[in-house]
Amino acid sequence: MKVIDIQGLKKSFTGKRMQRVEALKGIDLQVGRGEVFGFLGPNGAGKSTTIKSLMGLIRPTAGTVRLNGIDVHDPASRRSVGYLPENPAFYEYLSAQEYLTFVGRAFGMVPQRVKERGEQSLRRLDLWEARSRPIRGYSKGMVQRLGVAQALLHDPDIYIMDEPMSGLDPLGRALVKEIIRELRGEGKCVFFSTHITADVEAVCDRVGVIVNGALRMVERVDRIMAEGITGYLLRSRSPAGEREQIVTVDHLSDLLSRLKEEGQTVTLVEPVRKNLEQFFLDIVKGG
Amino acid sequence: MTSILLITLKGIFRDRVFQGIMVMALLFLFIPTIGSLSMRQVTELSITLSLSLISFILLLLAVFLGGTSLWKDIEKRYTFSVLGLPLSRTSYILGRFMGNALFLCLTALFLGVITLLVILWAKGLYPPSRPVRWDNMMIAVLFDTLKYLLLVSVAFFFSSVSTSFFLPIFGTISVYLVGNASQEVYDYLHSGSQAVKVLPGMVVKAASLLYYLIPNLAAFDYKLQAVYGLDIAGRGMALTVLYWVIYTTIMLALTAVIYERREMK
Repeated sequence: MKVIDIQGLKKSFTGKRMQRVEALKGIDLQVGRGEVFGFLGPNGAGKSTTIKSLMGLIRPTAGTVRLNGIDVHDPASRRSVGYLPENPAFYEYLSAQEYLTFVGRAFGMVPQRVKERGEQSLRRLDLWEARSRPIRGYSKGMVQRLGVAQALLHDPDIYIMDEPMSGLDPLGRALVKEIIRELRGEGKCVFFSTHITADVEAVCDRVGVIVNGALRMVERVDRIMAEGITGYLLRSRSPAGEREQIVTVDHLSDLLSRLKEEGQTVTLVEPVRKNLEQFFLDIVKGG
Repeated sequence: MTSILLITLKGIFRDRVFQGIMVMALLFLFIPTIGSLSMRQVTELSITLSLSLISFILLLLAVFLGGTSLWKDIEKRYTFSVLGLPLSRTSYILGRFMGNALFLCLTALFLGVITLLVILWAKGLYPPSRPVRWDNMMIAVLFDTLKYLLLVSVAFFFSSVSTSFFLPIFGTISVYLVGNASQEVYDYLHSGSQAVKVLPGMVVKAASLLYYLIPNLAAFDYKLQAVYGLDIAGRGMALTVLYWVIYTTIMLALTAVIYERREMK
């Protein structure tokens, strides 16, 4: 069973001057356990609308959305979900520890478990020292890290994160990426939106590209990277010295044979890839 | 729902609302002095002033806490994180309401105790001509509290359909003003007086409709009975409580239904 199951999801809004805006135009998407899925798209493409539909924050105009087989209209669908909203905000008069206690209670966790998991999460996100301070005194990055900590608290099967790396410094970004990799290792499903292709390249198994409310492509990241090889960088050594040249995929074997005949030693063959960003730009600009 | 109730209470206490009320409660200390200006009815005037001060403080709380509770969560984007938890929106609404209601009740209890002490003090200084009815005073505070709880439910209803604080705050104040006067207006329109007969039928019908739609807050006013020690009919109180239960339930049910369908964009 796919833990995230979106079928025919459509969402329309009535915009200014009563104009109908189609934010989502029939999204079909499934994500399974142990999978990290990157949801990529330019600003206003429909990433957050999809995530809000997943969390039952907005009602689909058409289609069904299920988490662990439960329709998202049912609050029980969120029992096994850790959710990080975009630019998260938490009751600022509470401390991080109090907020986690509130979250734990909402998930029906026993106090001892909340205490243990709370400490683990806060230490993991480097918030332990600041745990008793009111959230109103936190920096943007600290609030973002608290958002990740509260999503981790009840050890859910599914993580839905809207721009999880937003507002974080390089250390924070590296930490969150490391956590996402760990979650994959534990067999969790992580679904996160971003418009930064490097993040997808670094941690995702699959990527979906959404443009103007339509899902343009869903593909494995390793396949994109393999298919994205446009040629090879070849370094050879001869008595005259060292030489580098780029050769297309089709001409690689010919060149290798020729160099061998010429008595040159090949010291490096490295694929030249079209990176994910170029791939993403091609899709977005492709109409 | 309990978790929402608890953080609502925490939020109110930490927003220093409670400390502000403690400061306002200092005004009670001046009541016997002001009451002494009446020369003969010091205790009666002290009761009137005390009950009116309680009423005013509860009104401020009902309007500003009730009117901003849901709106602030949306405005500050707290709703996204809270509604992402496995809580139904109905339990969120009820938790928020109960938190506000509990705070209002605690405040009424606190101010009620201060009132009793102040009246006891005034009574000692200037013995009244008629006995003080402590039970009536407690009934007056209790029904005042019910009135403002009902007003909080009205503020919640306005919050469920509004995206700003304007409608919840000013709508609730309007309902308070109309709700206090609606009984008198209704009685006047149905008194058969000559002046009413010249009014257009539409005006009379609209006023009658408003009378049934807007909560009748005058029914919760037992100040007169408390001040002059008049008897209070048990049946009247029972009917008022029943009216309160029905009206508040309808308001909260409507709020929950609307909020369940609301898009959190």
